[in-house]
Parts: sequence; structure tokens; C-alpha cells
Amino acid sequence: MKKLAAVLLGATAFLSVGAAYAAELVVGVSWNNFQEERWKTDEAAMKAVLDAAGVKYISTDAQSSATKQLTDIENLISQGANALIVLAQDTDAIQPAVQKAVDEGIPVIGYDRLIENPQAFYITFDNKEVGRLQAQAVVKVVPKGNYVIIKGNSADPNADFLRSGMEEIIGDAVKSGDIKIVGESYTDNWDPANAQKEMEQFLTKNNNDVQAVLSENDGMAGGVVAALTAQGLAGQVPVSGQDGDHAALNRVALGTQTVSVWKDARELGKQAAAVAIALANGTALDKVEGAVMFDGGPKKVPMNSVFLAPVPITADNLNVVIDAGWITKEEVCQGVPAGKVAVCG
Amino acid sequence: MRDTSPRLAAITLAFAGLAQAATAQAQVVPTFVDETANAGIDSVYAGEWQYMVGGGVATFDCSGDGFLDMLLAGGEAPAKFYLNQSTQGGALKFAEVTSGLELDAVTGAYPLDIDSDGIEDVVLLRVGESVAMRGLGACRFERANEAWGFNGGDAWWTAFAATWERGATWPTLALGSYIDRSQEIEPWGSCTDNWLERPRADGKGFDAPVPLRPSYCALSMLFTDWNRSGTPGLRIANDREYYRGGQEQLWRLDAGQPPALYTDKDGWKNLRIWGMGIASADVTGDGYPDYFVTSMADNKLQTLASATPDSPLKADYKDIAFPRGVIAQRPYTGGDVRPSTAWHAQFEDVNNDGLMDLFIAKGNVDQMPDFAANDPNNLLLQSTDGKFTEVGEAAGIASMGVSRGAEVTDFNLDGLLDLVVVHRRQAAQLWRNTTPDPRHWIELRLQQPGVNRDAIGAAVEVRIGSTVTRREITLGGGHVSGQIGWWHFGLGDAAAVDIRVTWPDGTAGEWLPLAAGSFYVLERDRAARVWLPG
Repeated sequence: MKKLAAVLLGATAFLSVGAAYAAELVVGVSWNNFQEERWKTDEAAMKAVLDAAGVKYISTDAQSSATKQLTDIENLISQGANALIVLAQDTDAIQPAVQKAVDEGIPVIGYDRLIENPQAFYITFDNKEVGRLQAQAVVKVVPKGNYVIIKGNSADPNADFLRSGMEEIIGDAVKSGDIKIVGESYTDNWDPANAQKEMEQFLTKNNNDVQAVLSENDGMAGGVVAALTAQGLAGQVPVSGQDGDHAALNRVALGTQTVSVWKDARELGKQAAAVAIALANGTALDKVEGAVMFDGGPKKVPMNSVFLAPVPITADNLNVVIDAGWITKEEVCQGVPAGKVAVCG
Repeated sequence: MRDTSPRLAAITLAFAGLAQAATAQAQVVPTFVDETANAGIDSVYAGEWQYMVGGGVATFDCSGDGFLDMLLAGGEAPAKFYLNQSTQGGALKFAEVTSGLELDAVTGAYPLDIDSDGIEDVVLLRVGESVAMRGLGACRFERANEAWGFNGGDAWWTAFAATWERGATWPTLALGSYIDRSQEIEPWGSCTDNWLERPRADGKGFDAPVPLRPSYCALSMLFTDWNRSGTPGLRIANDREYYRGGQEQLWRLDAGQPPALYTDKDGWKNLRIWGMGIASADVTGDGYPDYFVTSMADNKLQTLASATPDSPLKADYKDIAFPRGVIAQRPYTGGDVRPSTAWHAQFEDVNNDGLMDLFIAKGNVDQMPDFAANDPNNLLLQSTDGKFTEVGEAAGIASMGVSRGAEVTDFNLDGLLDLVVVHRRQAAQLWRNTTPDPRHWIELRLQQPGVNRDAIGAAVEVRIGSTVTRREITLGGGHVSGQIGWWHFGLGDAAAVDIRVTWPDGTAGEWLPLAAGSFYVLERDRAARVWLPG
């Protein structure tokens, strides 16, 4: 147990913090590409939780290299990490490193991206719930009519999670005939330009007789709205999205997009750190608070998981993203006529 | 072209005692100058979805002056042919002339002498029907699909390789195809068949194509004698974006037998990458070719896991890209922090220090949001310790163009390798290698009588002191780009070398002592001839 000795030595510095058992712990985070701005928010949230518990944070940046990430994880292990949080560059290529960690008794949390290993933990936003929230917001406006569904990349399992969540909301109405799906397609690379092309084709095919569009993300919603605009239909046909893209939140204020389902990265970081501390303290995977079994990955591997609830942002609650510092009021309200949306004044 | 008498007298045994090239000397960073405009090159690889891959260039000499001429794929627009009018050591100069190769829908092109008449022909890969163009001499070409029984099919053709199977009088061609192009909205899983076109039994032209099933959206193919058995296999790089259940492939092609895939029983490991291009060279010095395979983010450098000669070789490769420093997974300049998208790759010695360097063309597929938009091309210099260092920016080739195909080749016959790169929706670029005080080099052209005049499948060994490096002469790979011409070898400080050719039928020639700084025609069973331009 050379490793343990090293950890104990390193931990003496923290003894004054108080909670001795926590002070001995190290959580290692393997980022796939930390230069991407978005992960700074997650890291700050993780650090806040770890600091408060007196747990040491160490991290590596794979710089978008799946190969480097393998050695990164080995480094985190040799530096004494008691639990690992891994944002995988390539969820297949990462497997040997994850297996090595769990074989050594070091718990691994797949962060945001699924790593299918039955001994690992998975924490992410509930993508099925995203699909449900997208459909709910649109169905609320148009409970009956012709629907178009614009899905993401076929090779990305999230595209199907989202779609299955939508099905839970619209399935009965589709069976009863209240909702008719008049166009549905995957979108190469989640590319907005491709989504626009698809939407144009569906509009042509249906002589513009389309009452609602379920788009799986904001980028593609932008393409859909462009296609609708060309036919003078923007603002009349509800459109869903997700990610809280700044352009999409502006569209929500302008009324051309109905909903953008937002995932608060601060929540994800906070929860992952809390789970890491629990696992490092010996909590069994299935005893983690809120843990559920999930086997919806491409290989159907059953995994203990925590799914966070995303927040649907509509014209009624745009203040949520502004108050969170995610976007400024000016960006949200750009071009919005006075008196139209409460938050814009 | 002018032959002169051998200058072998210059060689003495003393050279055998020369220390290995490039020992303990500071690396020479090569310099390149963009001469696109002055050279008269003006060609764009144009087109929408069906041209998101492809964008090749073929270099070959059809005018007979020894300078390599060039065909640039135009995508939707007609391809452009450029006659090389450079002078030795001078600025690069080309003239656009009509050759008959100016078809539209060309994705890439490979030169080879299909009918063994001593004149290079060109295979044009296209969206639609691929076309075999017979060289008529003086840079004129005509369609020969019907005359040769070449079936150009109707597909999105994106890869090519050629070999002469043992005893055959006609080549075997592999054609790789991509997505079913009628499936633009949902292309996943629609990879169409790759084809093998083998010689007809009567030796006159090609038999009906044999589909290489399963096919997984090939973007590069290479016939290579990976285990030095004398029978090349077919390595295929496949794009995981669009196949279902696919992987990288290596086919076994025993003469007279149907093609068969190497499997895990043979040691072949399941590898799923966005395979876009293949470069090969023996980087490790184990005597067997290593393969650099381009992809998105990490690139791969594959070497045999075990190359012990006393046991049967397994097709078991390990990836050494990371320790060797050629992972090249993201931009090294320009500030874009997203991962790279790599296409054409080629091993050549750009600073003549005797070590193979590596060029990689980079560029986003189109506007993929998770990958770098500003994605500079790479030039990785090899050091004596086998590691590679990025010098693209210092060398002046760090183009942010949306690159695809390319060729590293000596356009002005000065012993320094120049560079041409094709870009999607942007003008192709041409650089002249202007490295001052270059070290020694030698350039070779292989010739054999009868069939397979350019000796595709031969191996060239270069011996400097006690060090022997081996280079396989192949036709294929890269990203829809190929060349036939002078094979260039940097020699470092060695003013002379020993060269041995093992011909495609496995017959090894004599070791030939040759002086550096010259062009040689090595014709089978004949003395080496010095060749002088002009």
C-alpha cells in the first residue's frame, strides 16, 4: 500500500481543516479538453464542494487526445486519487484506463458522457427528460396537428434518448391521431444547415401544412426557424430546442422558438463532486443518494447513475438564465419589442 | 530526358565507414515559400455535400522532361491539368493545358501505367462513374474504360490502390467508395461496396469487379506487403462516422483466391477511427512498413506489436503515435482549441537529414461544431531518437485552408521536396522548398521491362554505413492523391550511399554504390544511369 502512505503524507497538511477522514481524500478529474470555456464552470462548482469538504482536487487535461487521456488517468491514480471523475474524449478508447482504476478499487464517475462499464458510475442530465420537456412545451401550445421531428446525429445515442422522451409525451396523441408526424429525420453532425435543408423538404412535402416542430437542440432549431422564416411561418409554428444557446434564448424572447431546455453546468459539477466524495469514502455505487439503474447505452450495460433535472426555459422564465449569469439581459432581449416579454420590459 | 554515363567511380569503399546520417546535429527546419500565384496554379475543389471528402491531386510526368506535371481535382468543376514548366532549382512554374483529363465530378486521381506501354495512365475517381484514362503521350489522355474492361461503377468513389499480383500481366485495382449518395438525409449505415478489379484470365484487361464485403466507407486504400510475404495485402482506412459495426480493415489477397479479411484470429485488432488517409514508411526500423492513419482528433501510427522473424508474423499492430509525437490531435497554432480533422498524410524527408518526416493535411469537414475551424496543416520533423517535432509554422506551411489531398514531391528537381495542397471550396496552394544549405539527397526512378514498368511493389534499401532503411514502393493511400515519379531519399551527411532494389517478383538486385546529389534511373538487370534534367 505504497499509494496509501503517499496519500496520508500528503494529507497531513489538511489535518487542521478538521474532518480528518475527508482531509485524506483526493478526487482526480480527467478533462478531455479543458481549454474549452464551458468546463471552467463545471470545475468551479466541483472545487467549491471539494474545498468545503476538505478534499483535494487534482486534474489533468487530455487536450482532446483519447490516447493522452489514458496516461492522464494513470497519472491521477499514481498521484493518489481516491475517486475519479472522467469526461471522456472517446467513450470506447477510455475503457482500459477505467477498468484499471476500478480493478484497483478506485471508483470512476463518467461525467456528462457515458462510459459503459458496470463498475463505473454515470452522472449526467436526464436526456430523456430533456425530450419530455421539449415535447411538453410544444404540445402545450399545439396539442393537435402535424408535427415534424428533427433529431440529432444517428450515431449519437443522445439523439435516441431525446426521441424516446418525446415519445412518452406525444405517443398517445400520435396513436389517437391527434398528432400526425409528417416528417422525421436524423441530422448529420447535428448541423444547423442540414436541419434547415430537412425542414425545407418537409415543408415542401406537406405544402407548409406543419403545426409544430420538435428539434432536439438549439443549433438545429436555428436551421428550422430559418426554413420557417423563408415561408413566413416563423413565430406561428412552435419549435423546441436545448442547450440554452444564446441565439436560441434570444429566439425564445422574440417568439420564434418556444423552449430551450437548459442544463445548469454548476449543478452537474456540484453533484459529481458530492458523488465522488461519497464513493471515495466507501459508499457502494448503488447506495449513492439518488442512484438509479440505467442500461440505455449502446451496449446496454447496467450502470448506477444519477440523472439531474434540466430546466425548460420559455418566455415566462427567461430570468432564470439571466439570474444565473449564463447570459445577459441585453443578449436575451435584443430586438424584442417593449412590452412583449416580461423580463425584457 | 538525357542519360549520361554512370558516375560510379566517385564511390569508394571509404563511404562505408561514414557515420550514420544526422547524428547529433541540430535539426534543420526546412523553409517553404508559397508560390501558388506566381506558379500559375488556380484551382478550387468545389461542391456541396458530395464533395465533403475527396479533393485529390496526382503528380506524374507525361511530357517526358522528368518534371512532374499535375492534375488537381475540381469537385463539381472540371479537374485542371498543369504542365510543369519549372527549371531545375528555379521558381515553380506551371501552365494549364488541355489534356483530356478535365472531367467534372472528380474527387481524386492516381497515376499508373495500367497497360504497361511506358506511358502513365490516370484513374479518375469521381462522384458517379470513375474513369480510367489512357495516356497517349505528350500529356494527352483518352477514356479507356471500354477498351480495358474497366468498370467505373456508379458510386461516391473515394479511395484507390493498385498492385500487380504475382505473375499477372495486368494490374489489380482496388476502388473504395463512401456513402450511398442518394441517402443525404440519413446516410448512416449506407456505405456502398468497395471493388476489386482483377485481370481477366486471358490477360487482356479487367474482369468483372468483385465486391469487397463488408465495406465501411473507405477513404484510403493501400496495397502493402505488410509482412514481407511477397504478397501484398490491402489496408483500408474507414470512416466510422457512417458505418455500422465497422472497423479498420486488412484484406488478404492470395493469387487466384477470393479476398479474405484478416480477423482477430490473425491478431488483427478491432479499431474504429474516422480513417481518412494512410501514409506508410518503416519508421521504427524493424524492417516492416509502419502505417500512419489519419482521423479526427488522435491520429494513429501503427507498428507490428511483435516483429520477431523466427515466428510467424501476426497482423497485430500497436499504436505508437503518442510516444513518437505524431498524435497531432489539435491545432498547434491559431488559437482554435477544438480537435483537428486530418486527411492526406505522407512520409518524406523534407530536410534531407536522412530521416522520414511527416506531412498532414488538416481541415474541417464543413462546419462541424465540435472540431477546429482553423486547423493548420502539420509538418512533423523526425529526430534521431525517432520522435517527431511540429515545425509547420516555422517552415511556412501552416495553412488554415480547409485541406484535403496533397502531394509532397520535388517539382523543380533540386533535391528538395515541394508541396501542393488541395482545399475544399478554396484555391489549392503550392509551396517551394527553399531550405538553405540542404544536405545530401538522391532521387531514383525504377524501371523494369514488360509489365508493371514502374515496379510498383518493389522495395528500395538505402545503406549508409551500417544502417539500412527500407522503403516500399506503393501506389495508393494518402487521401485520394497519388504520385509516380522520382523516389526521394535524404542522406544527411553521406555524400554517397549503397542502394539495393528488390523487384516486385522478390528478386533482389545488387547493392549499387551511388553518389549523392543526382537523379538515377535504376532499370532492372542494368547498370544505374545518371539522369540530368533538360
